[in-house]
Amino acid sequence: MHIFQEIIQDAFFAAIAAIGFAAISNPPRATIKYSAIIAAVGHATRFCLMRFAALNIVVSSLAGAFFIGILAIIISPKAKCPPETFAFPALLPMIPGIYAYRTIQAFVMSMAASGEADFNHYFYLCESNGITCAFVILAMVLGQMIPILMFKNRAFSSTRG
Amino acid sequence: MTTATITSNITTASICRFFAEYASYMLGCGATCIRIDRNMERMARTIDATIDMTILPSHILITMTDNHTGETSHHSSSIARIPVNYDMNTRLSKLSWLVAEHRLDLSEAAGVFRHIIHSKPMNPWAVMGLVVLANASFCRLFGGDFNAMGIVSFATLIGYSLKNILLGRHTDIKLTFLACSFISATIGCAGHLFGLSSTADIALGTSVLYLIPGIPYINSVSDLLDGHYLCSFSRFAHATVLTACIALGLTGGILLMRLNVF
Repeated sequence: MHIFQEIIQDAFFAAIAAIGFAAISNPPRATIKYSAIIAAVGHATRFCLMRFAALNIVVSSLAGAFFIGILAIIISPKAKCPPETFAFPALLPMIPGIYAYRTIQAFVMSMAASGEADFNHYFYLCESNGITCAFVILAMVLGQMIPILMFKNRAFSSTRG
Repeated sequence: MTTATITSNITTASICRFFAEYASYMLGCGATCIRIDRNMERMARTIDATIDMTILPSHILITMTDNHTGETSHHSSSIARIPVNYDMNTRLSKLSWLVAEHRLDLSEAAGVFRHIIHSKPMNPWAVMGLVVLANASFCRLFGGDFNAMGIVSFATLIGYSLKNILLGRHTDIKLTFLACSFISATIGCAGHLFGLSSTADIALGTSVLYLIPGIPYINSVSDLLDGHYLCSFSRFAHATVLTACIALGLTGGILLMRLNVF
């Protein structure tokens, strides 16, 4: 597939996922479009960094989340909403769900392992996936919180007026 | 001056009670502690008072001190057990500005507050449709094919419907998450069982992700950075318990279908 198409596809599905996750958190309706746009940009940023710069998923997630935070800070006074309203749902498509699933999978396997070699193998998989999953989540949250904490006044006065 | 007007209209105790309920609903609807602190501080300044907030896992304790007389007043309130609601968060934050800019006094604000907390959430059918699409898109983002997306959509539809039914009947949230995860995972096994998809593992792993309590996890880190350690830990523990329920349900579904994915 053409690389441009891949980026567009990644951004598109991230936007749809963000709309759904935003809907669960019952946001003001006018802000759902912002969640979609921000998620598309953030996820596509992570995709490009992993694909073209061959960066690790943790670093790429940090950068993608930072973009999400910056965009949320820029948009929040215009939307007259707290930046979390669209930044948090926009962040959720980056959750490393498959790593979480593989962690659980390997954990259960390690409990059912018959010998030491099997146990070590599955426990290694459990730790490896679990650590990646935990660090991706931490990077996502930190990346997104940094702009909000950097521009506190803007972030906390966005609902004014 | 505004201070005199407010104190003549409502008592210190009722102001303190309003602040406690305000904080309780802000916490319940998914606001970060730093936002709640700022909103309350902003409103308290209009009556020349200082607010101190202690957040416990299920309760909130407010101490209000009149800066002029030194008189203190306390009120504790249970944290509102409501779903994450950013519309409420936004409207309550706007309310704090209306009070701060003297466009509403605190007795009027209490009335507006009642109206906000009783406002209706989004249409549940519309939310369900969007969640189904979101989880299918999630599957695609992880590399799932179109058949896997179909399986995930169906698993999400059934699981989310069950979640609405159980929560509507006030079933325990942990049991609800366990049951929904179990049902969604069981349906998610279809790709493996019937050879419907070449990315059946991704379909199975994604089928339960609509349940992940992402916002409590994000809020817990935000609270941690802001120094609200107790609230941070409480939110993290709650989200972890729900995640454990999801993991148990997923494992149960896979074991029931006797899949050899492990």
